[in-house]
Amino acid sequence: MHPTDKEQDFLQLILANKGIILKICQLYCPDKADREDLTQDIIYQLYRSAERYNKDYRFSTWMYRVALNTAISFYRADRRRTTLPLSDLHLTIEEADDPIGAERLAGLQQCIQGLKELDRALILLYFEEKTYQEMAEIMGLSETNVATRLSRIKEKIKRCMQINMKCI
Amino acid sequence: MDDLELTKLWKQYDQSLERANILNLQSWVLHLQTIELLKTEKAKSRLRSLGNCKKGMIIIGILWVAFLIFLLANSIAVSKLFFALSVAAVLGFSIYSVLAYIWHIVLIDEIDNSESLVEVQKKTATLKASTLNSTRILFLQTPFYSTFFWSWQWMSHDPKFWYIAFPVTLLLTAASIWLYRNIDIRNADKRWFRMLFSGKDWTAVIRAMKYLEEIEEYKKEVEI
Repeated sequence: MHPTDKEQDFLQLILANKGIILKICQLYCPDKADREDLTQDIIYQLYRSAERYNKDYRFSTWMYRVALNTAISFYRADRRRTTLPLSDLHLTIEEADDPIGAERLAGLQQCIQGLKELDRALILLYFEEKTYQEMAEIMGLSETNVATRLSRIKEKIKRCMQINMKCI
Repeated sequence: MDDLELTKLWKQYDQSLERANILNLQSWVLHLQTIELLKTEKAKSRLRSLGNCKKGMIIIGILWVAFLIFLLANSIAVSKLFFALSVAAVLGFSIYSVLAYIWHIVLIDEIDNSESLVEVQKKTATLKASTLNSTRILFLQTPFYSTFFWSWQWMSHDPKFWYIAFPVTLLLTAASIWLYRNIDIRNADKRWFRMLFSGKDWTAVIRAMKYLEEIEEYKKEVEI
Protein backbone atom coordinates (compact mmCIF):
# COMPACT_ATOMS: atom_id res chain seq x y z
CA MET A 1 0.00 0.00 0.00
CA HIS A 2 1.44 3.37 -1.04
CA PRO A 3 0.54 6.63 0.61
CA THR A 4 -1.28 9.25 -1.48
CA ASP A 5 0.27 12.66 -2.17
CA LYS A 6 -1.78 14.17 0.64
CA GLU A 7 -0.61 11.50 3.06
CA GLN A 8 2.95 11.91 1.87
CA ASP A 9 2.70 15.67 2.53
CA PHE A 10 1.34 14.96 5.97
CA LEU A 11 4.20 12.59 6.76
CA GLN A 12 6.71 15.20 5.62
CA LEU A 13 5.09 17.76 7.92
CA ILE A 14 5.24 15.36 10.83
CA LEU A 15 8.87 14.58 10.13
CA ALA A 16 9.75 18.25 9.86
CA ASN A 17 8.20 18.85 13.28
CA LYS A 18 9.04 15.56 14.95
CA GLY A 19 10.97 17.34 17.70
CA ILE A 20 7.77 18.90 19.01
CA ILE A 21 6.01 15.53 19.27
CA LEU A 22 9.03 13.93 20.81
CA LYS A 23 9.46 16.48 23.58
CA ILE A 24 5.77 16.57 24.43
CA CYS A 25 5.65 12.77 24.69
CA GLN A 26 8.72 12.79 26.88
CA LEU A 27 7.29 15.36 29.28
CA TYR A 28 3.80 13.90 29.60
CA CYS A 29 4.57 10.21 29.52
CA PRO A 30 7.23 8.95 31.89
CA ASP A 31 6.59 5.34 30.94
CA LYS A 32 8.52 4.30 27.85
CA ALA A 33 5.96 1.72 26.71
CA ASP A 34 3.07 4.21 26.94
CA ARG A 35 5.09 6.83 25.12
CA GLU A 36 4.71 4.95 21.85
CA ASP A 37 0.93 4.93 22.33
CA LEU A 38 0.95 8.64 22.97
CA THR A 39 3.07 9.27 19.86
CA GLN A 40 0.52 7.35 17.79
CA ASP A 41 -2.34 9.23 19.45
CA ILE A 42 -0.78 12.61 18.68
CA ILE A 43 -0.04 11.72 15.05
CA TYR A 44 -3.57 10.38 14.64
CA GLN A 45 -5.09 13.54 16.13
CA LEU A 46 -2.92 15.72 13.89
CA TYR A 47 -4.04 13.72 10.86
CA ARG A 48 -7.69 13.98 11.93
CA SER A 49 -7.48 17.72 12.63
CA ALA A 50 -5.48 18.55 9.50
CA GLU A 51 -8.58 19.32 7.46
CA ARG A 52 -9.76 21.77 10.08
CA TYR A 53 -6.46 23.63 10.14
CA ASN A 54 -7.22 27.34 10.39
CA LYS A 55 -4.71 29.33 8.35
CA ASP A 56 -5.24 32.37 10.57
CA TYR A 57 -2.88 30.66 13.01
CA ARG A 58 0.72 29.66 12.42
CA PHE A 59 1.26 25.99 11.66
CA SER A 60 3.34 25.54 14.80
CA THR A 61 0.56 27.09 16.95
CA TRP A 62 -1.93 24.61 15.53
CA MET A 63 0.46 21.71 15.98
CA TYR A 64 1.31 22.61 19.57
CA ARG A 65 -2.38 22.93 20.41
CA VAL A 66 -3.31 19.53 18.99
CA ALA A 67 -0.26 17.75 20.38
CA LEU A 68 -0.47 19.28 23.86
CA ASN A 69 -4.22 18.74 24.15
CA THR A 70 -3.80 15.10 23.16
CA ALA A 71 -0.90 14.61 25.57
CA ILE A 72 -2.72 16.20 28.50
CA SER A 73 -5.84 14.10 27.88
CA PHE A 74 -3.67 10.98 27.57
CA TYR A 75 -1.83 11.84 30.77
CA ARG A 76 -5.05 12.46 32.67
CA ALA A 77 -6.59 9.23 31.44
CA ASP A 78 -3.56 7.20 32.50
CA ARG A 79 -4.08 5.95 36.02
CA ARG A 80 -0.52 4.77 36.36
CA ARG A 81 0.88 8.25 35.89
CA THR A 82 3.88 8.62 38.11
CA THR A 83 7.09 10.54 38.17
CA LEU A 84 9.96 8.19 37.55
CA PRO A 85 12.95 8.22 39.88
CA LEU A 86 16.11 9.85 38.57
CA SER A 87 17.78 6.53 37.80
CA ASP A 88 14.98 5.56 35.38
CA LEU A 89 15.11 8.90 33.67
CA HIS A 90 18.71 8.25 32.81
CA LEU A 91 17.56 5.65 30.33
CA THR A 92 16.23 8.41 28.10
CA ILE A 93 19.18 10.68 28.57
CA GLU A 94 21.69 8.12 27.50
CA GLU A 95 24.08 10.20 25.54
CA ALA A 96 25.02 12.98 27.90
CA ASP A 97 28.78 13.44 27.89
CA ASP A 98 29.42 13.60 31.62
CA PRO A 99 27.63 12.03 34.60
CA ILE A 100 27.01 15.36 36.39
CA GLY A 101 25.52 16.77 33.18
CA ALA A 102 23.30 13.71 32.86
CA GLU A 103 22.13 14.15 36.46
CA ARG A 104 21.27 17.78 35.79
CA LEU A 105 19.33 16.94 32.63
CA ALA A 106 17.43 14.17 34.37
CA GLY A 107 16.81 16.56 37.25
CA LEU A 108 15.39 19.15 34.86
CA GLN A 109 13.10 16.55 33.29
CA GLN A 110 11.92 15.42 36.71
CA CYS A 111 11.27 19.00 37.86
CA ILE A 112 9.20 19.74 34.75
CA GLN A 113 7.30 16.48 35.12
CA GLY A 114 6.47 17.49 38.68
CA LEU A 115 4.55 20.54 37.43
CA LYS A 116 0.81 20.57 36.78
CA GLU A 117 -0.26 19.71 33.24
CA LEU A 118 -0.93 23.27 32.02
CA ASP A 119 2.21 24.65 33.70
CA ARG A 120 4.22 21.96 31.98
CA ALA A 121 2.81 23.05 28.61
CA LEU A 122 3.63 26.67 29.31
CA ILE A 123 7.24 26.06 30.31
CA LEU A 124 7.73 23.85 27.25
CA LEU A 125 6.55 26.71 25.03
CA TYR A 126 8.87 29.10 26.86
CA PHE A 127 11.86 26.83 26.33
CA GLU A 128 10.87 26.48 22.70
CA GLU A 129 11.29 30.25 22.47
CA LYS A 130 7.72 31.05 21.54
CA THR A 131 6.67 34.69 21.83
CA TYR A 132 4.28 35.69 24.60
CA GLN A 133 1.64 36.28 21.96
CA GLU A 134 2.02 32.76 20.56
CA MET A 135 2.08 31.22 24.03
CA ALA A 136 -1.11 33.12 24.86
CA GLU A 137 -2.76 31.85 21.66
CA ILE A 138 -1.80 28.25 22.29
CA MET A 139 -2.81 28.32 25.93
CA GLY A 140 -5.94 30.48 25.60
CA LEU A 141 -4.68 32.97 28.21
CA SER A 142 -3.88 36.66 28.15
CA GLU A 143 -0.26 37.68 27.59
CA THR A 144 -0.09 39.21 31.07
CA ASN A 145 -1.30 35.98 32.60
CA VAL A 146 1.29 34.03 30.59
CA ALA A 147 4.10 36.30 31.78
CA THR A 148 3.12 36.09 35.43
CA ARG A 149 2.61 32.35 35.39
CA LEU A 150 5.90 31.77 33.60
CA SER A 151 7.79 33.71 36.20
CA ARG A 152 6.26 31.56 38.96
CA ILE A 153 6.93 28.32 37.11
CA LYS A 154 10.57 29.22 36.51
CA GLU A 155 11.00 29.92 40.21
CA LYS A 156 9.48 26.53 41.01
CA ILE A 157 11.84 24.76 38.61
CA LYS A 158 14.88 26.57 39.97
CA ARG A 159 13.96 25.62 43.53
CA CYS A 160 13.38 22.02 42.46
CA MET A 161 16.72 21.91 40.63
CA GLN A 162 18.53 23.23 43.69
CA ILE A 163 16.99 20.50 45.85
CA ASN A 164 17.92 17.86 43.25
CA MET A 165 21.50 19.09 43.02
CA LYS A 166 21.87 18.90 46.80
CA CYS A 167 20.79 15.26 46.63
CA ILE A 168 23.43 14.32 44.04
CA MET B 1 20.67 29.41 38.71
CA ASP B 2 19.34 32.13 36.38
CA ASP B 3 16.98 32.03 33.39
CA LEU B 4 19.84 31.81 30.91
CA GLU B 5 21.34 28.80 32.64
CA LEU B 6 17.93 27.13 32.70
CA THR B 7 17.46 27.72 28.96
CA LYS B 8 20.95 26.41 28.26
CA LEU B 9 20.20 23.27 30.23
CA TRP B 10 17.00 22.80 28.24
CA LYS B 11 18.93 23.02 24.97
CA GLN B 12 21.25 20.27 26.20
CA TYR B 13 18.21 18.22 27.18
CA ASP B 14 16.73 18.86 23.76
CA GLN B 15 19.84 17.58 22.02
CA SER B 16 20.05 14.47 24.16
CA LEU B 17 16.40 13.67 23.37
CA GLU B 18 17.00 14.17 19.67
CA ARG B 19 19.90 11.74 19.75
CA ALA B 20 18.07 9.18 21.85
CA ASN B 21 14.74 9.07 20.08
CA ILE B 22 14.99 10.46 16.61
CA LEU B 23 15.56 7.18 14.81
CA ASN B 24 12.63 5.46 16.51
CA LEU B 25 10.16 8.15 15.59
CA GLN B 26 11.48 8.47 12.06
CA SER B 27 11.19 4.79 11.31
CA TRP B 28 7.75 4.60 12.93
CA VAL B 29 6.35 7.53 11.00
CA LEU B 30 7.74 6.39 7.71
CA HIS B 31 6.41 2.91 8.10
CA LEU B 32 3.55 2.39 5.72
CA GLN B 33 1.51 0.82 8.48
CA THR B 34 1.15 4.31 9.92
CA ILE B 35 -1.09 5.29 7.03
CA GLU B 36 -3.12 2.15 7.51
CA LEU B 37 -3.41 2.91 11.21
CA LEU B 38 -4.57 6.45 10.52
CA LYS B 39 -7.27 5.23 8.16
CA THR B 40 -8.69 2.71 10.58
CA GLU B 41 -10.16 3.24 13.98
CA LYS B 42 -7.34 1.41 15.68
CA ALA B 43 -5.87 4.62 16.97
CA LYS B 44 -8.84 5.25 19.15
CA SER B 45 -9.43 8.55 20.79
CA ARG B 46 -9.93 8.54 24.53
CA LEU B 47 -12.92 10.81 24.17
CA ARG B 48 -14.48 8.46 21.69
CA SER B 49 -14.47 5.68 24.27
CA LEU B 50 -16.28 8.02 26.64
CA GLY B 51 -18.77 8.64 23.82
CA ASN B 52 -19.31 4.91 23.28
CA CYS B 53 -20.08 4.47 26.97
CA LYS B 54 -22.62 7.28 26.77
CA LYS B 55 -24.16 5.79 23.61
CA GLY B 56 -24.67 2.53 25.50
CA MET B 57 -26.39 4.42 28.29
CA ILE B 58 -28.66 6.15 25.75
CA ILE B 59 -29.83 2.80 24.34
CA ILE B 60 -30.60 1.49 27.83
CA GLY B 61 -32.29 4.80 28.67
CA ILE B 62 -34.52 4.73 25.57
CA LEU B 63 -35.63 1.16 26.37
CA TRP B 64 -36.43 2.23 29.94
CA VAL B 65 -38.36 5.31 28.71
CA ALA B 66 -40.35 3.13 26.26
CA PHE B 67 -41.24 0.75 29.10
CA LEU B 68 -42.38 3.66 31.32
CA ILE B 69 -44.50 5.13 28.51
CA PHE B 70 -46.12 1.73 28.06
CA LEU B 71 -46.86 1.57 31.80
CA LEU B 72 -48.21 5.10 31.85
CA ALA B 73 -50.44 4.56 28.82
CA ASN B 74 -51.97 1.55 30.54
CA SER B 75 -52.57 3.20 33.89
CA ILE B 76 -54.46 6.37 33.13
CA ALA B 77 -57.47 5.96 35.43
CA VAL B 78 -58.63 7.67 38.62
CA SER B 79 -58.14 4.45 40.58
CA LYS B 80 -54.48 4.36 39.50
CA LEU B 81 -53.85 8.06 39.94
CA PHE B 82 -50.82 7.73 42.27
CA PHE B 83 -49.31 4.99 40.16
CA ALA B 84 -49.69 7.09 37.00
CA LEU B 85 -48.28 10.21 38.67
CA SER B 86 -45.28 8.30 40.04
CA VAL B 87 -44.56 6.71 36.66
CA ALA B 88 -44.93 10.12 34.98
CA ALA B 89 -42.44 11.68 37.41
CA VAL B 90 -39.89 8.88 36.92
CA LEU B 91 -40.49 9.14 33.16
CA GLY B 92 -39.69 12.87 33.29
CA PHE B 93 -36.37 12.24 35.04
CA SER B 94 -35.53 9.41 32.65
CA ILE B 95 -36.19 11.59 29.60
CA TYR B 96 -33.98 14.29 31.14
CA SER B 97 -31.26 11.73 31.61
CA VAL B 98 -31.43 10.46 28.00
CA LEU B 99 -31.42 14.04 26.66
CA ALA B 100 -28.43 14.90 28.84
CA TYR B 101 -26.50 11.93 27.45
CA ILE B 102 -27.42 12.91 23.85
CA TRP B 103 -26.20 16.44 24.59
CA HIS B 104 -22.91 15.02 25.87
CA ILE B 105 -22.42 13.08 22.62
CA VAL B 106 -22.96 16.31 20.68
CA LEU B 107 -20.37 18.02 22.91
CA ILE B 108 -17.87 15.20 22.39
CA ASP B 109 -18.17 15.63 18.63
CA GLU B 110 -17.69 19.37 19.00
CA ILE B 111 -14.41 19.09 20.88
CA ASP B 112 -11.68 20.24 18.54
CA ASN B 113 -8.15 19.57 19.74
CA SER B 114 -6.83 22.50 17.73
CA GLU B 115 -8.59 24.99 20.01
CA SER B 116 -6.64 26.54 22.87
CA LEU B 117 -5.49 24.30 25.71
CA VAL B 118 -7.62 25.95 28.37
CA GLU B 119 -10.72 25.73 26.16
CA VAL B 120 -10.32 22.06 25.18
CA GLN B 121 -9.31 20.93 28.65
CA LYS B 122 -12.29 22.77 30.13
CA LYS B 123 -14.72 21.15 27.70
CA THR B 124 -13.27 17.69 28.31
CA ALA B 125 -13.36 18.04 32.08
CA THR B 126 -16.90 19.48 31.95
CA LEU B 127 -18.04 16.45 30.01
CA LYS B 128 -16.61 14.01 32.52
CA ALA B 129 -17.80 16.02 35.48
CA SER B 130 -21.34 16.29 34.06
CA THR B 131 -22.00 12.68 35.14
CA LEU B 132 -22.02 13.80 38.76
CA ASN B 133 -24.40 16.68 38.03
CA SER B 134 -26.81 14.34 36.25
CA THR B 135 -26.63 11.89 39.14
CA ARG B 136 -27.54 14.50 41.74
CA ILE B 137 -30.60 15.48 39.69
CA LEU B 138 -31.59 11.83 39.28
CA PHE B 139 -31.55 11.39 43.07
CA LEU B 140 -34.63 13.64 43.14
CA GLN B 141 -36.74 10.89 41.59
CA THR B 142 -36.20 8.53 44.56
CA PRO B 143 -39.39 9.48 46.52
CA PHE B 144 -41.55 8.58 43.52
CA TYR B 145 -40.48 4.94 43.84
CA SER B 146 -42.31 4.91 47.19
CA THR B 147 -45.57 6.45 45.98
CA PHE B 148 -46.59 4.26 43.06
CA PHE B 149 -48.62 1.91 45.32
CA TRP B 150 -50.49 4.69 47.15
CA SER B 151 -54.28 4.76 46.76
CA TRP B 152 -57.19 6.86 48.10
CA GLN B 153 -58.59 3.81 49.77
CA TRP B 154 -55.34 2.97 51.56
CA MET B 155 -55.02 6.56 52.77
CA SER B 156 -58.51 6.73 54.25
CA HIS B 157 -58.85 3.23 55.70
CA ASP B 158 -55.45 2.02 56.80
CA PRO B 159 -53.53 3.85 59.56
CA LYS B 160 -50.36 2.02 58.41
CA PHE B 161 -50.28 4.39 55.48
CA TRP B 162 -49.80 7.39 57.82
CA TYR B 163 -47.49 5.55 60.23
CA ILE B 164 -45.25 3.82 57.68
CA ALA B 165 -45.71 4.62 53.97
CA PHE B 166 -46.11 8.39 54.30
CA PRO B 167 -43.13 8.90 56.67
CA VAL B 168 -40.96 6.73 54.40
CA THR B 169 -41.83 8.96 51.44
CA LEU B 170 -41.17 12.07 53.52
CA LEU B 171 -37.82 10.64 54.58
CA LEU B 172 -36.86 9.79 51.00
CA THR B 173 -37.92 13.27 49.87
CA ALA B 174 -35.80 14.92 52.54
CA ALA B 175 -32.83 12.63 51.76
CA SER B 176 -33.03 13.19 48.00
CA ILE B 177 -33.24 16.98 48.41
CA TRP B 178 -30.32 16.88 50.85
CA LEU B 179 -28.25 14.80 48.42
CA TYR B 180 -29.19 17.10 45.53
CA ARG B 181 -27.93 20.09 47.49
CA ASN B 182 -24.83 18.44 48.94
CA ILE B 183 -23.45 16.38 46.07
CA ASP B 184 -20.80 18.90 45.25
CA ILE B 185 -17.08 18.76 44.67
CA ARG B 186 -16.58 20.78 47.88
CA ASN B 187 -17.80 17.72 49.78
CA ALA B 188 -15.66 15.24 47.82
CA ASP B 189 -13.40 14.55 50.79
CA LYS B 190 -16.24 13.77 53.20
CA ARG B 191 -16.78 10.20 54.23
CA TRP B 192 -20.41 9.86 53.03
CA PHE B 193 -19.41 11.24 49.64
CA ARG B 194 -16.53 8.80 49.27
CA MET B 195 -18.80 5.91 50.27
CA LEU B 196 -21.48 6.96 47.79
CA PHE B 197 -19.10 7.54 44.91
CA SER B 198 -16.44 4.88 45.27
CA GLY B 199 -14.93 2.95 42.37
CA LYS B 200 -12.56 3.94 39.60
CA ASP B 201 -15.23 5.46 37.32
CA TRP B 202 -16.35 7.85 40.02
CA THR B 203 -12.75 8.63 40.94
CA ALA B 204 -12.22 9.77 37.34
CA VAL B 205 -15.35 11.94 37.49
CA ILE B 206 -14.28 13.54 40.77
CA ARG B 207 -10.78 14.10 39.42
CA ALA B 208 -12.32 15.81 36.38
CA MET B 209 -14.32 18.11 38.64
CA LYS B 210 -11.22 19.08 40.60
CA TYR B 211 -9.40 19.64 37.33
CA LEU B 212 -12.23 21.90 36.20
CA GLU B 213 -11.73 24.06 39.28
CA GLU B 214 -8.00 24.11 38.57
CA ILE B 215 -8.65 25.31 34.99
CA GLU B 216 -10.98 28.06 36.19
CA GLU B 217 -8.28 29.15 38.60
CA TYR B 218 -5.73 29.04 35.79
CA LYS B 219 -7.76 31.40 33.63
CA LYS B 220 -7.77 34.05 36.34
CA GLU B 221 -5.17 36.79 36.04
CA VAL B 222 -2.50 36.40 38.68
CA GLU B 223 -0.21 38.93 40.29
CA ILE B 224 3.45 38.38 41.06
